[in-house]
Amino acid sequence: MAGAWRAAGHAAPRIAYGASSALARQADAGAPAELFLSADLDWIDWLAQRRRLSGPPVRLLANDLVLVAPAASQAQVRIAPGVDLVRALAGGRLAVADPRAVPAGRYARAALESLGAWKAVEPHLAPAADVRGALALVARGEAPLGIVYRTDALAEPRVRVVAAFPESSHPPIVYGMALLSGSGADARAFAAYAASPPARTLWARHGFRFP
Amino acid sequence: MLEVDIRVRRGAFHLEGAFRSDATIVALFGRSGSGKSTIVEAIAGLLRPDWGRIRVGGRTLFDSERGIDLTPEARRVGCVFQDALLFPHLSVRGNLAYGERLTPASERFVDRERVLSLLGLGPLLDRRPATLSGGERQRVALGRTLLASPRLLLLDEPLAALDAPRKAEILGYIELLRDNFRLPMVYVSHAVEEVTRLADRLVLVSDGRTLAEGDVAEVLSRADLKPHTGRFEAGAVIDARVARHDEKYGLTTLAFDGGELVVPNVDALPGEPVRARIRSRDVALALERPRAASFQNVLEAAVEGIGEEFGAIVEVALRVGPTPLAARITRESAERLELAPGKRVFALVKAIAIDRRSVGYA
Amino acid sequence: MLSGEELGIVVLSLEVALASVAASLPFAIGVAWLLARRDFPGKTALDALVHLPLVLPPVVVGYLLLVVLGRGGVLGPALASMGIVFAFRWTGAALAAAVMSFPLVVRAVRLSMEAIDPRIEAAGRTLGARPWRVFATLTLPLAWPGIVTGALLGFARSLGEFGATITFVASIPGETETLPLAIYAYTQVPGAEGHALRLSILSVILSLAALAVSEWLVRRRPGAARHA
Repeated sequence: MAGAWRAAGHAAPRIAYGASSALARQADAGAPAELFLSADLDWIDWLAQRRRLSGPPVRLLANDLVLVAPAASQAQVRIAPGVDLVRALAGGRLAVADPRAVPAGRYARAALESLGAWKAVEPHLAPAADVRGALALVARGEAPLGIVYRTDALAEPRVRVVAAFPESSHPPIVYGMALLSGSGADARAFAAYAASPPARTLWARHGFRFP
Repeated sequence: MLEVDIRVRRGAFHLEGAFRSDATIVALFGRSGSGKSTIVEAIAGLLRPDWGRIRVGGRTLFDSERGIDLTPEARRVGCVFQDALLFPHLSVRGNLAYGERLTPASERFVDRERVLSLLGLGPLLDRRPATLSGGERQRVALGRTLLASPRLLLLDEPLAALDAPRKAEILGYIELLRDNFRLPMVYVSHAVEEVTRLADRLVLVSDGRTLAEGDVAEVLSRADLKPHTGRFEAGAVIDARVARHDEKYGLTTLAFDGGELVVPNVDALPGEPVRARIRSRDVALALERPRAASFQNVLEAAVEGIGEEFGAIVEVALRVGPTPLAARITRESAERLELAPGKRVFALVKAIAIDRRSVGYA
Repeated sequence: MLSGEELGIVVLSLEVALASVAASLPFAIGVAWLLARRDFPGKTALDALVHLPLVLPPVVVGYLLLVVLGRGGVLGPALASMGIVFAFRWTGAALAAAVMSFPLVVRAVRLSMEAIDPRIEAAGRTLGARPWRVFATLTLPLAWPGIVTGALLGFARSLGEFGATITFVASIPGETETLPLAIYAYTQVPGAEGHALRLSILSVILSLAALAVSEWLVRRRPGAARHA
């Protein structure tokens, strides 16, 4: 997205990647950020409470949760209430982002809980530091199955999507965007661009949906 | 019988050394950096020559042509170094036992009690090396090496790190060991006093070459070797026998081939052979026998040659009978006395100049 | 005072750190000796390799471990057939910690070995000791302070190891969730700082205890301590 913005002739945005928690705390502590994009609306609300936002947050994108396996795997799993993931794992572990800490993990837990599969599979989890870590575990064949975002699965050629979790099984995965206090005109312009139709085509190509 | 014939090249340093010796003690003598330590390291097996042979008592330790190179632990060659190199984490007792324990009982020929008493190590047994004085450390080092029952003992400048009184003390101990254990030794030093006191044969090492080997007195007196034996140490070494003692005045008369020398009391019995070193700077010359002067030693001599002139000083080579002697005097005096080869003169030597350090037991 | 869960985390961390030191120390002593006493072609390469975990981001090291020793990795299947599995097991956490702390252990041991006058070892040889005996009776005792320091550094580093561990074996409670991983998880939850703080204080206490033990161990060998 930043690339497209720059190609259109604007100043390149500087992007700081990180966990929502860390970024939010940094913004709170006064780091010179103008725009905050996060999958974790709780942290955006937290910033709002501390009066760090210069405007209301916008729900920009949505994502899906998918079950992935290594590209070479023949695994077939049908995601429905009561799905027996433990059997599908066959002794291996289910790679997820840490459900205690990371949004992707929390969504995965919610989805599994709603399908009644959480209790059975909880002792067989491999909680990774983040969703990329979980993806790597599946890509390397370390874990036979994993739960990641659809956008991540599409980006990694060494995994294949086995099945998708129904939207209803988890809270909506929504990416919020908020302008921080002290942001300038450039930032506002970029924020507007990110929500525009040409931008949407780009987003969709990567696997995002729109709320 | 010790046979050494090696070539070593390490970067810019180049050594070609060859000598053989039957003597109880052979000294490797020369200036610092001349290559003496390299030869010793090669004999011990701590350094591998690029070419050559080393044999000790009929046993080949190294032979580059036959592909023989015994490991240091297999050579049974003991080493005593300048800085003792005691094991800091072991007590004296532990240090002494280190090599002894590794020697199979059948090969042990050194009696533990004898070594302990000769070197006075009893009271030191439970001490740690760090608490010992320099002299004590060298005694322990000697004991440690001996107790491993070596077939050859290498001493690499063992006195260099000690002060004068300590040097004399340890020199005494080494003489004791030489006399009591009949162990072949190689003694490396750049100090003439040590070498003349201890050794029978001398190998002169200079600039990476073994220049000469032979009797200690003879090699040190050779005029052509003077540049290598060192200017300030220049002198003559005289083989003599104790003739008689003067109890009243504490003097000893030594008889040598060509005359007699009176020196301060020498601790030896009449008839015993000794070696006396007379520094050329302690010899004065006169054309007539002085009638009332303090010199105890007035020797009739003939001028053999007058050496190169270093500014104000000349070295005059003399013969007292068949025995060589050297005198260092001013060029002015040499010219004033009209010294020339063949001229008969009197060599005047103060008895005091031939002190304890200058007399060794052969 | 400590909840059952917290106690479990501490015990696991100690197991992992102790295993890490026990596994890396013999290799570190060997490598340190090679680097301190021997010259050979490829010595610089070995030195660089040993220091790699110091300069690479821990996550990269964890990923490399995954690639080489993971279930689907280069050596994974071979090791698995021998019964050695690191995937999602505490052994994996110990391995990650051992790899990350290896350079520190080697450095400490190497330094103390280099401080030993090689002529002391030569003296031992001339007294009849074979190289192995020289190593065991002279080199090791004289390098003791460095070995203890190395073990302490390795232990402390292992206690604090995070990036490589979580990337290699994830954060599985009871198996691989060591103190740092647990603390991290708690800092991610808004409002759980209290838990994180308790566990952090625990880490500090453990490290101080390790320091005290190492000091005592060094003092036990007076000859060697003086030498260092």
